[in-house]
Amino acid sequence: MPYLSQAERDYITEGVHSDLRADGRGRLDYRALVLETGIISQANGSARVRLGGGTDVLVGVKVEIDQVEPDAADIGKVVCNVECSPSASQQFEGHGADDLNNELTQALQRVLGGPQCGINFEKLCIIKGQQCWIVYIDAMILDYSGNVMDAIFIATKAALFNTRIPKTQIQDMGDGEFEFEVLDDVEDAERLEGVENVPVGVTLNKVWTVMTGSTKLNKEHATPLEELCTEAKLLIAVNKDGKVCGIQKGADGSIEPGLMSEMIQTAKRVGQSLIRQLDQSLHNEEAQVEEKRRNGEHVEKLGFFAVV
Amino acid sequence: MSRLELLTVEGLRIDGRRPNELRKITAKTSVLAQADGSAYIEQGNTKCLAAVYGPQEVRHRMQILHDRAIINVEFNVAPFSTSERKKRSKNDKRSLEIASAIKQTFEPVVQTSQFPRSQIDIYLQVLQHDGGTLQACINAATMALIDAGIPMIDYVCASTAGCIEKQPVLDLNYLEESSDSPELTVAILPRTGKVNLMSMESRLHVDMLESVAALATQGCEQIHTILDSVVRQNTQLLKDSMLQ
Repeated sequence: MPYLSQAERDYITEGVHSDLRADGRGRLDYRALVLETGIISQANGSARVRLGGGTDVLVGVKVEIDQVEPDAADIGKVVCNVECSPSASQQFEGHGADDLNNELTQALQRVLGGPQCGINFEKLCIIKGQQCWIVYIDAMILDYSGNVMDAIFIATKAALFNTRIPKTQIQDMGDGEFEFEVLDDVEDAERLEGVENVPVGVTLNKVWTVMTGSTKLNKEHATPLEELCTEAKLLIAVNKDGKVCGIQKGADGSIEPGLMSEMIQTAKRVGQSLIRQLDQSLHNEEAQVEEKRRNGEHVEKLGFFAVV
Repeated sequence: MSRLELLTVEGLRIDGRRPNELRKITAKTSVLAQADGSAYIEQGNTKCLAAVYGPQEVRHRMQILHDRAIINVEFNVAPFSTSERKKRSKNDKRSLEIASAIKQTFEPVVQTSQFPRSQIDIYLQVLQHDGGTLQACINAATMALIDAGIPMIDYVCASTAGCIEKQPVLDLNYLEESSDSPELTVAILPRTGKVNLMSMESRLHVDMLESVAALATQGCEQIHTILDSVVRQNTQLLKDSMLQ
């Protein structure tokens, strides 16, 4: 863990104060973001997000058929899993990442596992009381330089947008018996219903404020050094309608009630504008890919060859 | 079930390659910000990421070697990398075996005696699996070590070869690999031609072994040319950016 001197700490805190951070951003600005979908051909949907020069998240979505849960017989489900690769930080070697993996997995699962996720879970059920689709979301953190949670949410939303579920055909065998067939044709595969409602996460950091006592400081997309100056952070999941879909407080400090509601309002605003931009670029990318397909051109995915 | 036709009468393989043809290889170094050296390689549909840290202080004191550095390898497979989702635990026997094979491959090549009482870590991450994981990992690790500036006596280049209907074939993909045709993985040091790793998991007639091994070696040499040009290109870019 890097250690910050008092001078560095003051520099960062003062920067936040005057709305100008070390890399030239304002308090509520994101770093430059590189996003690409569909880079893992074995997955039903995938996306990679690279934030600034450092944080790198790869999300793969796979759908599989399984038995329905006895107490939820007519819905499918979403299962999330986050893994930190040791390539991101040496601390993640061996079992070093277990705690963090668990924390991130739970945070993601809590937002996407329930109805606030926006996806139509009933549509995931194939035969009531028998079989359903399970959507597995696997996120890998390959490189780390602050604010992984927002990157995971962005990558997940993009990967879900990219996901196609194979069509199924149900046959009535009589006597209340049903059988189904999964259609192989890729052209028939459908997008998840309600994917546009999937929330994104916005992390706001309350920066260490020993000098001023003023606590009206918050910002997002912190770099690792800034994260060291963070007293408390708040992850707020927001969907496209500006509805709050989940809140989680992190780090050891506490947040005043007034600041808390201000943070939520800010997150709503920032989250909605993020979703708008994200949707726009996802639709653009898809349109480009489709046009290339129509013209019979080869669709080249950049993956890690993208310039960073 | 009908048997898959792996080799057509015209002598072409399932993905349209000739028997002695490699899949398309593309690679890039310095893809990660945190690691001291990193590389990404795509060999057909197999995609692998390698990160190298070190040489640095040994983390567990009992492992210290007073005359050389220790090499530590961790191998990981992404849950979405195969056709069926599977989450492997960190103690998966197969992963540990691959990690130790890679460690043994690099120990004689890296000049460990230059860094006594230290440690070099190699982390490998398979993002997509389509046959030939071990070879892709070794090639990625070589590039990442070079990117980290760790002195080595030579490249280590790995390639696979197999035998389908008595015809030696180079660089098997997943379909060919899983159709119980023998697969031989070979890693060589291209300059001296020394063999650093050789492994085969099924049986192959001894008369065929020599030709299969020769084909794999030939594949290694081709891969060496590709990797070398990538390393030179990236170093040139680095040099240009420094001179600006």
